[in-house]
Order: sequence, then structure tokens, then C-alpha cells
Amino acid sequence: MRRVLLRDPVFWVCLLFFGTLLILSFANSVFRDGQVDQIQNLYSKDGTFIATSPLEPSAERWLGTDRSGNDLFQVMIEGAKWTIGICVSIAFARIALALLIGIPLAFRKKQLYTVLRLLLDGFLILPILLIALFILLPAFQFFDPAEIPSTFSRVFLEISVLALLGLPALVLYFIGETRQLLAQEFMLVARTLGGRPGYQFRTHIWPHLLPTLTIVFMQQFVQTLMVLIHLSLFGLFFGGTLVLFEGNAAPTIFEWASQFGYYFFQFTAVSWINHLFLVPAIALALLVFFANLLTSRLERAYRLRRQQMIPSVPLAAADAEAAAARLSDPFDPVDISIKS
Amino acid sequence: MSSFIIRKTTQLVFAFLVLVGISALPGLIVQMRPDFPCYFKMVQQQLGLLTTSAPLTYYNVTASEKRPLMPDLQPFIQETLIIFTSALICSSVVALLYAFLFYRTGSKTRSILTQSARLLEMIPDLFWIIVSQSIIVFLFKTTGFNQIEIAGGFADSIRFLPILTLSLTTVFFFIKWLTGRIQEEQYASYLELARAKGMHSTQLFWQHLMPNLFYRFYLFFRTNTITILSSLVVIEYAFNVQGLFRFILINQDFSVLLVLLLLIYVPFFILDTVAELCIPRSWKGEIS
Repeated sequence: MRRVLLRDPVFWVCLLFFGTLLILSFANSVFRDGQVDQIQNLYSKDGTFIATSPLEPSAERWLGTDRSGNDLFQVMIEGAKWTIGICVSIAFARIALALLIGIPLAFRKKQLYTVLRLLLDGFLILPILLIALFILLPAFQFFDPAEIPSTFSRVFLEISVLALLGLPALVLYFIGETRQLLAQEFMLVARTLGGRPGYQFRTHIWPHLLPTLTIVFMQQFVQTLMVLIHLSLFGLFFGGTLVLFEGNAAPTIFEWASQFGYYFFQFTAVSWINHLFLVPAIALALLVFFANLLTSRLERAYRLRRQQMIPSVPLAAADAEAAAARLSDPFDPVDISIKS
Repeated sequence: MSSFIIRKTTQLVFAFLVLVGISALPGLIVQMRPDFPCYFKMVQQQLGLLTTSAPLTYYNVTASEKRPLMPDLQPFIQETLIIFTSALICSSVVALLYAFLFYRTGSKTRSILTQSARLLEMIPDLFWIIVSQSIIVFLFKTTGFNQIEIAGGFADSIRFLPILTLSLTTVFFFIKWLTGRIQEEQYASYLELARAKGMHSTQLFWQHLMPNLFYRFYLFFRTNTITILSSLVVIEYAFNVQGLFRFILINQDFSVLLVLLLLIYVPFFILDTVAELCIPRSWKGEIS
């Protein structure tokens, strides 16, 4: 699988996209202390007033500014590490916890799996979005900027809730996958030879599970991103919502999904398509697109690897073998050379 | 049969308890900290709602008063049901026709179809919502055509765009799954035998391939319901549909949440039971 991916240009383009965003975002934090330039009003050299924020995209400000005067290009750069980081953390936490819970359970009897499935059945059809909204909205709405808790506690709590809500489905999936692998012949041999569950997992299950894990990781990444976007549409921004006067709300972090929800509210009040709304919308669409593209390339590589793993006798050699084994004229000379 | 009834009853009882637990989850976090006593109090309250014989009430935000839930909720349920089922039927029919076309075409066309479906599948649901609304606005601006609503109101129901966008979101799911299974199954021995007997490919597809995929397709749909419902939540919000999810977003009440969870779970439980009972064992891949 690794060999296929290394030779895949599309895979490298996807990695380049994510890598560039992360490097730029972390560089902004390191070299500029995460600062975003603010331009409230624009004046000419002789001091004449030209325009006020939101400014349209121009050669000086590539993506324009928002109503508060924040340079949107810098907002997007600063927010990239948050958006990617949150999705990676949640996907990673879900997979790690699901493996920790699911793998030991997969080695138990089938009845336990049935009971667990019975218990978690209710969880499997409910939209995570709705439950997350109900749990997080009362706790993450702040009316006074001075009373906002530390960024760490807010981020930790939100990541924990979102990770735990997606856990039941993933636990059941990993139990199912592992049980399927345990039913294979090579695992029967491993068990017959006396391999302990830990050894069986390390030596036999893990190498088979790893390619699936990478695909599941990317799927979880996209799913989390979609939940973040949907939550922000309902006014729940990542890291909390600062409730302003007249029902307005603002995010506390320059995270992409939150920016999208924030500008979506503003955009409904002004003209239809404007840069304020388009910038985060296009950025998120690109992120979802590249994440999906990466997933499809991983799936392709996994498929190709599986095809390579199925032992197949070359047709020419099989023909020669069949000719050599024919019984009609056993003493006839046969051509056993393998055709290229 | 008796073991089946016992199993299903146990499943339903367990599911009800789990749903009560889930519906009480909003009480778990108080002031940014987990508060377990508050959570258990909420669980008790929700259990009380389930066991009481009195009609359920909720706090109506618009009217600023407590009102009985059931007659109020009925039109919202109806609206959601219409959009969900219509979108499901539309996307299933389109996906089936696409799958049939895919089955009949050669490898070159198949490759083009696969690539384009894969590309469209990567587009998030929100994009379909925004694009469809923009197209209708553009159409109105250029031609003056105003027969399609872009947002609903309290008295106006909006159906066309929500059904279209939900169908677009789900159809690519279905297409991906169906085409993948067709590629897997097309050289299966039962199809080879039927083909060797001189059966036409149309007959092969509808009489042999589809029945074999039917139950697996249902299971796939069941697993992906969570995504479809999530899309529906956003669609109802974006188009201002007077549906069940919009109702709960406006009236964020614990009793409404519990009823919503039950309203989502129970039909699927019934559908599962019917599927288990009615779909022939051979369609499920078992020996009949």
C-alpha cells in the first residue's frame, strides 16, 4: 500500500495542500504571535477617506477584510491549524479509544458482541450533530468576554464530547472488523499454535487493520469537519460562542467552520454572494474536497494492495502446466516455456 | 418464533433505556464541568415522562407558555416525513437506474461514470443547499421565474428544494455502494451460470443481481441513516422547513428531545423487524 501511495501524484498533491496550510499557520503563530492585521478604515496617502470595512479583495488584501477589519487571508491562515488540528485530534481520539475498547472485546465470545450491539443500537441512528448541539450549547454560550474560561478547558471539553459521541459506532465497527479477521484461516492456525490474544493482535491483526485504520481516520476527519460546520450554522462555534447585543454572536477562535457560521449570519443580512461568506465557504469546500480525495486515494491503494495479495498463477504458466498434465497423449513433447 | 419475540422485546426495552440516557445527556455538562448528579436527576425526569399517563407538555418559545406536545408536533412530523421519504424514493430510483446503466456499459464508460460520481460525492451537503438557492435566485433575476421557493415560512411549506438537496446528498452514497457491489458480484458463479444459459443482461440485473443486493443495501442504508438525518437537520434549518428538526431547534426542551429520539428510533426498529421477517433467507445470503 505504501509503495502505491508513494507513486501516486494525487496523494502527494493532497499532502502538499495540508502541509502548506499547517506550515503557514504555525509560522504565523511562531513569527507573528498569531496576530491578524485589522484595518477599520482605508485612507489615501493625502488622508482622504476611501472606504470602511468590510473591504473588498484587492492586491494589498488578497481576500479582503471582514466587518471588524480583520484581514481574511490572515484569518484563514491563522485558523487552518485549529480546523485541521481539531479534526485530527477528534479522529485520533475516537480511533484510539475505539481500538482500546473494541479489540479486547473482539476476542471475547460472540454473545458479548450481540449484547453490545443491542445496547448501542439506539446510538447508531441518531444524528451526532443534534445531540452535540444540545449538550454543548448551554455550556458554550458566553455573555461576558471576561468570564470566558481558558482556551485549553474549552477546547478539551468540546473535543472530548465530540470524540465520545462518535465512539459507539466506531467500537462496533472495530469489533466487527477484528472478528472477521479472527475468523480467517491464518488466525485459526495462530490460535492452534498457542498464540496469546496480545501476540495474535500485534503480529497478525494489526498489520491487517492498519490500512483500514488510515481510511477510517480520514473518514472520521471529514465527518468531524462536517459536524463542526453544521454546529457553527446553529450558532455554536468551536471553543464557545460570545453572545453580543441584538442576538448577534461571534466566535472566540479564528477556526474555519466557526468563521463560516459567523459570516453566514452576516451574509443573510446583506447582499447575497459576497466575499465575507465566500472565503470561508470555499476554504472549507476545498478542505473537505482534499480530505475526501485523500480518502479515495487511500482506498484505491488499499484495493490495489488486496488485489496484489491474492495469489494468481500467470495464465501462460497455467496453460503450460495444463498442457504438461494432459492425459490424452502423455508422451507427446509439450512446450513448458513460460510466454512473456 | 418465541425466541425472536423475546430478542426483539429485549432490544426495544434496552433501546428505550439507552435513548432515555441519551436524551438526558444535555444535563451532564453544567458550567463547563461534568455534573453526574444532575445527569441522573435528568434521567429520572425523562423516565418519569415515559411512564406517566398524563399528556406530554413542552415550553413553546414563541408562545412563551407550556403547551401539550402531541397536537403541536403532528404537522412538523408530517413535513419531515414527506421530505425524508420523497428524497429517499427519488435517490433510490436514480441510484438503481444509474446502477443498471453502469452494469450495461463497457469499461471505458464505466471508468468515466465512476470518476464523475466520485467527484460529485466529495461535495458536502451544504454546498448543494447554497448552490441550489443561488441557481433559483439567478433564474428569478434573469427570467423572472418565481415558482420555486428558496425558503419556507410558518404558513408556507417548502418541498422542492429540500427534497432535491437531500436526494443529491444521498444519491451519491447509494451510487458508490451499488457500483462497488456490482463490480464485486458481476463475475459471481450464479451470474455466470445464468449468463451461460443465455439470459439477457437486463433480466440478469433485475432478477438475480438486485434481489441478492437488496438486503445488503438495506443494511447499508441503515448504517448511513445517521448521515442522511444529519443532512436533513441542516436542510430543514437552511430552508426554514417547518419540520421536526426545526421544531426541536426552536423549542430546545428535554421532553421534545426524548420524543424526537423515539420518533427516529421506533420506525427503524419496526422496519428492521419487518425486514428480518419478510425478506427471504436466500436474499440475505443464507441457505433457504
